[in-house]
Amino acid sequence: MRFLRANNRLNNHDAGILPLINVVFLLLIFFMLAGHLAASDPFAITPPKSQSEGRNSPQDLVILVSADGRFALDGVEMSEEGVIKAASERLRKSPAGETPGLRLKTDGNAPAARIVRLMQRLRQAGIQKLKLLTIPAN
Amino acid sequence: MNPQTYALSPPGNKALGAFGGCATKRRQLISLTPLIDVVFILLVFFMLASSFLDWRSIDLNTPGKGRSEAQLEGAVLVEVRNEGLRLSGEAITHETLIQRMRENSDRRVLVKPAQGVVMQDTVAVLDSLATAGVSDLSLIADQAR
Repeated sequence: MRFLRANNRLNNHDAGILPLINVVFLLLIFFMLAGHLAASDPFAITPPKSQSEGRNSPQDLVILVSADGRFALDGVEMSEEGVIKAASERLRKSPAGETPGLRLKTDGNAPAARIVRLMQRLRQAGIQKLKLLTIPAN
Repeated sequence: MNPQTYALSPPGNKALGAFGGCATKRRQLISLTPLIDVVFILLVFFMLASSFLDWRSIDLNTPGKGRSEAQLEGAVLVEVRNEGLRLSGEAITHETLIQRMRENSDRRVLVKPAQGVVMQDTVAVLDSLATAGVSDLSLIADQAR
């Protein structure tokens, strides 16, 4: 009898946290579907805002430029020369016909002259497809 | 040994089909607590690891090797300075820039950010030009310094 009562108490206890588990499951599913997993950047940036509707292309290489002049290629911090060299190397090694493009993820407060200079040097290194990453204004 | 266990199991199986017995038997076997622990850990993982930034992109034209200096001649130059915009040397606002460029949106436009202009202002100019319907856009560097 005592055994049975213990069972009952256990039952009630479990039934009490069931709504909580429901909510946690819903949250879990929401975060799994709504967010997307991405490797975190070596330094934080605040991207420029724009009304552009262009689609992001996740398969492309990404160059990160911070406001204080640091550069990173696909999450690895390196010098400007290193970034240009590594990017052109990687594009050359990729099979013909499916050459990935290049995305520039810059800080909104980075001096534009520096970005333009980087773009020109990338073009001199033979990179054709360049995109600038932004976020929507609101 | 075998007959004994065999004899014991049927009542249990019957209980599974009955109303009350099923739930209590199950709960005794598997407690919900470890399951919730795992779900919580997964939840925390997804909350921390997922990002919600909605990335967009602007295509930047690359002046290919075929383009010579001659083709730059018909182009319109938009200078971006800290104190404002200049269209071919004349100070101008974003609104007038959009109006002017709407009339000749098929021309090539060169955007030249001056020293000290931040990326956000340059992107705003690119936005205005895109609103005006300009498709042939290029960024060029300030060679003066």
